[in-house]
Amino acid sequence: MKILIIEDEPALLVTVKQFLEGEKYVVETANNFKTATERIGTYDYDCILLDIMLPDGSGIELLKEIKILNKKDAVIILSAKNSVEDKVLGLDLGADDYMAKPFSLMELHARIKSAIRRNYQKGETTIAFKNVELFPDDRKVFVGKAELVLNRKEFDLLYYFMIRPEKVLQKTVLAESVWGDNIDQADSLDFIYSQIKNLRRKLKESHAEIDFQAVYGIGYKLI
Amino acid sequence: MSISLKNYTLKYLAAALLVIIAVWAALFYAVILDELYDNTDDGLKDLKIQIIRKAYTDDATLGINEFDFNQFKITPVSSAQYKEGNFFRNELFYMEYDDEMEPYRILETYFLDGNGNHYRLEIRTSTVEEDDFGLDLFFALIFLYIFLVVSIVLINNIVLKKVWKPFYGTLENLGKYEFGKQYKPKQNTTEIREFKLLDQKIDKMIERNETAFTQQKQFIENASHELQTPLAIAISKLDLLIERETVPQEILTDLSETKHGLIRLVNLNKSLLLLSRIENNQYTDKREIEINEVVKHVLDDFTDLLQFKNIVLDFAETAVFKTVINPDLAYILISNLIRNAVKYNSTGGKIIVTVHAAEITIKNTAVVKEPLNVELIFNRFYKAANDNTSTGLGLSIVKSIAENHADLNIIYAFENNFHVFSVKARNS
Repeated sequence: MKILIIEDEPALLVTVKQFLEGEKYVVETANNFKTATERIGTYDYDCILLDIMLPDGSGIELLKEIKILNKKDAVIILSAKNSVEDKVLGLDLGADDYMAKPFSLMELHARIKSAIRRNYQKGETTIAFKNVELFPDDRKVFVGKAELVLNRKEFDLLYYFMIRPEKVLQKTVLAESVWGDNIDQADSLDFIYSQIKNLRRKLKESHAEIDFQAVYGIGYKLI
Repeated sequence: MSISLKNYTLKYLAAALLVIIAVWAALFYAVILDELYDNTDDGLKDLKIQIIRKAYTDDATLGINEFDFNQFKITPVSSAQYKEGNFFRNELFYMEYDDEMEPYRILETYFLDGNGNHYRLEIRTSTVEEDDFGLDLFFALIFLYIFLVVSIVLINNIVLKKVWKPFYGTLENLGKYEFGKQYKPKQNTTEIREFKLLDQKIDKMIERNETAFTQQKQFIENASHELQTPLAIAISKLDLLIERETVPQEILTDLSETKHGLIRLVNLNKSLLLLSRIENNQYTDKREIEINEVVKHVLDDFTDLLQFKNIVLDFAETAVFKTVINPDLAYILISNLIRNAVKYNSTGGKIIVTVHAAEITIKNTAVVKEPLNVELIFNRFYKAANDNTSTGLGLSIVKSIAENHADLNIIYAFENNFHVFSVKARNS
């Protein structure tokens, strides 16, 4: 999987690059409009992370360029301008997703996966870990051959864990990704715990080989 | 109580006119009477000369000692009564024609005939009836006064209306003007220099204010935006650190708490940005939304949390509540209220959500059994004393959406140990 990050803020660029490389992506970067245009014109990427505000041009123009070139790259807009107009404009112009800064890296990872999968079926259509297989498009989970019925939120929760097995998922990230703004941080600790407990019970009942491991003070890990 | 410019000037004009006319009437009355008597007296004096001359030559004249059609009488007097000079007086005589007593002007004088006898001559002439004259003058002046006031009202109405038209135009234009919205400077419709100047000054003032306002708006937005990137960097770096398996546990916990703090900052920043956008009318995409649907959607999102907190939800709808609002803001409005109802609720508590035709009420069991301070709860950054999880902006956002963006009102009440928040359509 090859990803192009177009971002003018060097510190953020490096961080995202570092993280995505850790997730085994091939990452290339561009920190201005000109370099970005060159890269897009020369290479194909599975996913382009596009900052709207660049020093020498607008990300929106780049997006138009990508569409004119008839490129199939999935595009996720990253914007510090969390405005509805930008979002609508970006999505109208054919971006696959829109993320407002600041975003969590785990969330970014999940969105990249979804965008690539949706965009041109090049990504995995199923995610598997041990004897559990998850079908993101159909929103179904199988343990071995038997289907495990989960409600919407439980599915979302499991999906996040399945994308990054054996890595720590922070409670804050989980809460925000699955329950959005609606959950307060005060509640999230116990609430996530109870949700994980439910999910764990369901997995155990259907003899899944996966389990959650609590990482004290931070979150959980799928093992 | 305010009074229009027209009536205001009229009030003073009418009072002033009354005084002016009264004073003028008194002077006029005195001058005219004086002139009248003067004329009459001159006539009488002339007559006196003629009568005395006649009396010298014609003794019969001396025999006229009663007023009849001669209008004079001559009475012999002793030399002691003789006086030099003309004496005028007013006296009432019966006048047959009018069948009443009428005022006469009488000239009394003394003369000697050819033989040296003393005589008193009295000549009379009908003169003005002062009371009638006064009354006539009074009525004439009352009529004049009314006529003047009516004329002034009419002239005021026509002229002032015409004169002040540009001013009222300016007023109307200002009334339509909303801060932060495009202001249309008034077209040049007046030749009056003062109003032209007023229009120009207003246009300039608004332009200056708008510029300052835009800059400030821009500043808040830019500040919030500029904060996003460093926050994104800090949070991502922390994420990367937390990912590292080699980091010791205590440090991990510290890192996690640092991240918590940053996330609160992010939420605060987002809320401020949202608030400033609502207040700057930047959510222009409004359409008719069924609040019922929004509520169902929000409640669906809260199902897990309600279950987890063991809160009983009682949702009922008696009608469809439609209102014109931006869909995203409608969601934020309802979810902020529901979130508060969940957050400030006790385990095993209750939430009652009811949607009516033009109203939605959200009630929740109060943890502390006393009403909230209505004066404060909608203020920015107001928090209950021991609440460190809130940004203090949730209800400000709700109020701002309801009242600045949509045509809604938000009302708080405390009933039977329930906090009740109602959102009502303003025109119902």
